[in-house]
Amino acid sequence: MSDPSSINGGVVVAMVGKDCVAIACDLRLGSQSLGVANNFEKIFHYGHVFLGLSGLATDVTTLSEVFRYKTNLYKLKEERHIEPETFTQLVSSTLYEKRFGPYFTGPVVAGINSKTGKPYIAGFDLIGCIDEAKDFVVSGTASDQLFGMCESLYEPGLEPEDLFETISQALLNAVDRDAISGWGAAVYIITKDKVVKRYLKTRQD
Amino acid sequence: MDIILGIRVKDSVILASSKAVTRGISVLKADDDKTRVLSDHTLMSFTGEPGDSVQFAEYIQANIQLYSIRENCELSPHAASSFIRQELAKSIRSRKPFQVNVLVGGYDTRKESPHLYQIDYLGTKVDLPYAAHGYAGFYTFSLLDHHYRPDMNTSEALKLLKMCIEELERRMPMDFKGVLVKVVDKDGVREIEDF
Amino acid sequence: MASTVASEYSNEVKNVPIEHQFNPYSDNGGTILGIAGEDFAVIAGDTRNTTDYSINSRYQPKVFDCGDNILFSANGFSADGDALVKRFQNSLKWYHFDHNDKKLSLKSAARNIQHLLYGKRFFPYYVHTIIAGLDEEGKGAVFSFDPVGSYERSQCIAGGAGASIIMPFLDNQVDFKNQYVPGSHGTERRKAQYLTVDEVIKLVRDAFTSATERHIHVGDGLEILIATKDGVRTEYFPLKRD
Repeated sequence: MSDPSSINGGVVVAMVGKDCVAIACDLRLGSQSLGVANNFEKIFHYGHVFLGLSGLATDVTTLSEVFRYKTNLYKLKEERHIEPETFTQLVSSTLYEKRFGPYFTGPVVAGINSKTGKPYIAGFDLIGCIDEAKDFVVSGTASDQLFGMCESLYEPGLEPEDLFETISQALLNAVDRDAISGWGAAVYIITKDKVVKRYLKTRQD
Repeated sequence: MDIILGIRVKDSVILASSKAVTRGISVLKADDDKTRVLSDHTLMSFTGEPGDSVQFAEYIQANIQLYSIRENCELSPHAASSFIRQELAKSIRSRKPFQVNVLVGGYDTRKESPHLYQIDYLGTKVDLPYAAHGYAGFYTFSLLDHHYRPDMNTSEALKLLKMCIEELERRMPMDFKGVLVKVVDKDGVREIEDF
Repeated sequence: MASTVASEYSNEVKNVPIEHQFNPYSDNGGTILGIAGEDFAVIAGDTRNTTDYSINSRYQPKVFDCGDNILFSANGFSADGDALVKRFQNSLKWYHFDHNDKKLSLKSAARNIQHLLYGKRFFPYYVHTIIAGLDEEGKGAVFSFDPVGSYERSQCIAGGAGASIIMPFLDNQVDFKNQYVPGSHGTERRKAQYLTVDEVIKLVRDAFTSATERHIHVGDGLEILIATKDGVRTEYFPLKRD
């Protein structure tokens, strides 16, 4: 358990629906078996692009700040917000820059392209290999459990409210089978012109 | 293992740190101060590798003081904690990382609110109502979970802290020579004599 | 005992002990799951047997009807699994010889298996064991064991390579975990209720298609053994073979 990516625990999951995407995370931050904080959110946003970061907490914070810096510069140069597809490439190259001394995180990108209106999600490994999925992406210490839940609950073309229920059930039941994930959850439902954020009531053990 | 505890309440933050300095089987000092004042309203307590901890704490103290001299403006507790986190996050990927864990307690004079941050040697920073490093948390978090209320005043918090210290004295295998207690509020940092 | 190790350079004489290390265990993948209904119980298992990235067999059943309405499966290292099944079947046979063909109850079978497993506490059978059948009241029952014999009765359990993928799905769909009555704003849990055989088979098939999709050691075929008061019935469904 000295594996850097499972010291703090935590998960992130994203799903695509009909003209919408959802991204969710748990709120636990621990030190091995000891729960330290139940307010550690793992989802950040840069304009209309959402980024989930599971893994080593110090790298989660560092990367969220690196991407804030880089997207701010992008906005100054381009005079517009970065799009999900472009941001995905930015994440990939930023992670690969540290190929031989990586950040121990499992990033997940979710958003809707403001020009085309196309929902978009992508996942990465710790050195930036892109996984451009059309259904769902999972990451974190309960990724096996999340794969099982998503693979069985997910169906394409869900409306926002149904997508919310699906991603919430997937997350909740997955983290309940992982000792170092849970302690609260946050879910974002993203549509073209609205973002709804909800906190879920979860088991506290 | 050293004890450092912190409790944030309605209008103050309390930091408590053990007074013992130990090396192997000996207690070398019984009145140590494991805290440094970073600015008028920000206090940091620290534990870790003996050489690293004081070196790191005073490096942080010096740099934050230098900032306030240059910019003629006090760094908020949040800003100070972000600076400390950044230094530790840089350090962990260096040739010889600082093995230091810290608590930052401060009173934000602009927002008129107290803040408590826990930062470990990896650069993991969290904003908490009460915090500890090392083994102290295993003994005291159950008490704090049970009795803590966010609207407590300073004297109620000191009573709760007393319970925690008594529990530690009862259950810890080592004599840590009591604790040094400091309070940070709108009037700055002050020590609680004969706690 | 030190001896000379051959070297590319004739003048380089090394004198180190040659180490021999035999690993008595391997992992043959596969996954199993057991669900208890009101008057029936099932154990399902995939029929793929692997070592590393090779498929040894696409149809190697690992769920057995041991007689006395007891379903048995030991997943993990298949040689140990087979040995354990054989030992249990033998134990059951002797129970019948010694006690005038008396039927072995499921809870006694469970206790017996604990002793078989714990008997090898310091060279364990490398398996996750599940048994299922009907209890003394005729209600469906499932027992699951760790490799050294610690066991518990449960309503449903998954074991083997795909357990972590399947188990949260079972919590959600069999025990209705995290499900609440609509309109109750999360104050009233959805009541537990027994599932029918058909519903259970549907869930088992969903669970295994999901596990097959995401786990390389799970696939080829799904064999479900169903124990009711009328005996044991077997159903087979193909799974993806990639």
